[in-house]
Amino acid sequence: MSSARTLVAWCPDWPVVAVGADAGTPAAVVSGGRVTACTAAARKAGVRRGQRLRDAQRHCPALDVHAEDPQGEARHFEQVAAVVESFCPRVEVVRPGWCAVPARGPSRYFGGEQAMADLVRGAVTALGVDCAVGVADGVFAATLAARQEPAGAVAGTAGAGTGVVVPPGATAGFLAPHPISTLGVAQVRPDTAAARAEVDALVEVVGLLVRLGIRTLGEFAALPAGDVLTRFGTVAAVAHRLAGGLEPRPPATRPPGEDLAASTTLDPPVEQSESVVFAAKSLADRLHADLAARGLACVRVEIEVATEDGRRHSRLWRHDGLLSSRAVAERVRWQLDAWRTSEPGDTDALVGGVVLLRLAPDQVVADAGRQLALWGQSMVDDRVERAATRVQTMLGHSAVTRPVLAGGRGPGEQVLRVPWGDRIEPRLPADGPWPGRVPDPAPAVVPPSPLPAVVTDARGRVVSVSGRSEVSSPPAWIAVADGSPVAVTGWTGPWPTLEHWWDTVLARRRARFQMATADGRAWLLLVDRGRWLVEAAYD
Amino acid sequence: MFDSGSMTDLALRDSPAGSGSAGLEAGLLPVLPALRSLLPGLRRGQVVSVDEVGALATALVAGASEGGAWCAAVGLPECGVLAAAGSGVSLDRLILIDEPGERWAEVVAVLLGAVEVVVLRPPVRPSVTEVRRLTAFARRHGGVLVVAGVPWEGAQVRLRVVSSEWTGLGDGHGHLRGRRAQVVAEGKGRPRAEWLWLPGPGGEVTVAGITAVDDLEPTVELSVAG
Repeated sequence: MSSARTLVAWCPDWPVVAVGADAGTPAAVVSGGRVTACTAAARKAGVRRGQRLRDAQRHCPALDVHAEDPQGEARHFEQVAAVVESFCPRVEVVRPGWCAVPARGPSRYFGGEQAMADLVRGAVTALGVDCAVGVADGVFAATLAARQEPAGAVAGTAGAGTGVVVPPGATAGFLAPHPISTLGVAQVRPDTAAARAEVDALVEVVGLLVRLGIRTLGEFAALPAGDVLTRFGTVAAVAHRLAGGLEPRPPATRPPGEDLAASTTLDPPVEQSESVVFAAKSLADRLHADLAARGLACVRVEIEVATEDGRRHSRLWRHDGLLSSRAVAERVRWQLDAWRTSEPGDTDALVGGVVLLRLAPDQVVADAGRQLALWGQSMVDDRVERAATRVQTMLGHSAVTRPVLAGGRGPGEQVLRVPWGDRIEPRLPADGPWPGRVPDPAPAVVPPSPLPAVVTDARGRVVSVSGRSEVSSPPAWIAVADGSPVAVTGWTGPWPTLEHWWDTVLARRRARFQMATADGRAWLLLVDRGRWLVEAAYD
Repeated sequence: MFDSGSMTDLALRDSPAGSGSAGLEAGLLPVLPALRSLLPGLRRGQVVSVDEVGALATALVAGASEGGAWCAAVGLPECGVLAAAGSGVSLDRLILIDEPGERWAEVVAVLLGAVEVVVLRPPVRPSVTEVRRLTAFARRHGGVLVVAGVPWEGAQVRLRVVSSEWTGLGDGHGHLRGRRAQVVAEGKGRPRAEWLWLPGPGGEVTVAGITAVDDLEPTVELSVAG
């Protein structure tokens, strides 16, 4: 089955636009030390997505750096979604900066697809937001069409660009010359372990295909579908359907009238977003459980909220079976935020308490694969899960963590704090030889970052360690942070470590000491480039 | 002092160590055998205060954690997770909330209703109302609140380390082996004291009798108190 006609409105570099950066100045949005988006000016200077911040700043010293703000992105995008909604009520937000509407019905009303594309483009540009529009069969092809557009617009006169329309039935031909790596475009930002695994699998398949000499979508689509499925698995089968201009997952037939939506009424009405988000989490759990019990997944999820004054607000979000319950709840939070902060005179603004929250799966498809880990996921008590999630809605996702043992030599390196609900494998294995690991017992107090210290000998001179791991004189006094000096009663060291010697950035040569002091305490100290640091205290 | 230690050894032989999950249902959460002479267990709804963040606070909850209880640590970013695991805390049932911020009291209240033990170091000095409210909350929901590092008005038991000494370090050689610490428990009635290995060479917490010292360090001279 060929995909439905779809119009995609795509705002390039949305994360940077949302933080208020001007496209003419070099600016970038950074998350976890890497660039996640940048302006055209920054790109011109050599800044790329996925680049380390350090490298980006080397290319472009004047770079204006902003922290990533998903909530703000969603909030600002609401105005764009509202404009697109005036053309067709079924707006689907793939992710902030990128939305899609079905084009078949409205295009007849507005006088053709090209006319509609231009109208949408004009309306969004009137908001002062750069926007590209594409129309094709399916979201994937329409997005590629939209992304082709700004190149023309930049070359021509500003604002004169038009939407790109791929005629019905020509989508497979349009997709064929695109490089195979464009398959990654169709991905929702992964935020569950399963989703990450899927993205990784896709990257691997794409890499494999390139090595096999299949470099374009057309060449990939030419392979027999059955062989792709048997040889490369379900992830590749979905990608294969995309490459051929088809619906990625065939729609599932189900008995009519069956309502899979999960809804809850809130009585008394709830004013705070937080309580609604909390309810949304358990609703999403229910929705996912219902779908999973039927072997289904949904392409989109509709968030619907009704308020005391009887008004209803709703918005579609891309789901693809990849979002966790927590991620759905997070989208509910963004959406509530966006509606609440609309213009005061705006008739669409959300005012008053929320009385009803409904999550409805939109376009249900058969769940083709993906499976929970067989082991390693310890069962978590229901009440603990609820409490931890509730604290997360209060303080944020990463404020609640569970410790996981990892590899490393220092006591701080051997523990990872993993946000509640996430599953992160430690980068370095915990068991395995770690020569130079500090011997047991482990210190009871490990400050998040080492504290400065001053270690002096009996005559008051600062003790130093030579390149041959010899101390200048035996340590006699320690002063930790701003404390007064305490006499050393026993000490040992230096234990030199040369860590990450194969990596010029991470490589470091340091030495550790253990010292006991007259007040009955003991310390793990570190000498790093001549500076004394307290890594941990043994009390 | 060491008499009391050997007395405990005798008492321990009578009661089987590690009461398992059976203890969870009853009103008393188990504590490590070494701590039993200081307090019989963590009574549900009880508030226990510890003078500072460190080995004593983790040792206090280790018994309950080993026995199947869930623990949460609020406001202790410097908690040595490895040391906690060494003393018996199960990392599979540990939740860390390092930076509870201004809403710490609310966070603790939510957790007290769900997990058995909450270890807390308030990020700011708690007000009298907050202390009273949380103490009452613990009593009502049956959670145990262990407060570390700040005085707490409603604490039924107060534990502190009165003296301690590390062994194993020479003058430029050896490595830390263990700490002998004298812990005092104050509550209703007479204060009780006990010498403990806090921790011992493998990270475990045991009663430090004189024989144990000799077994542990045959070569290193010790200045044993008493």
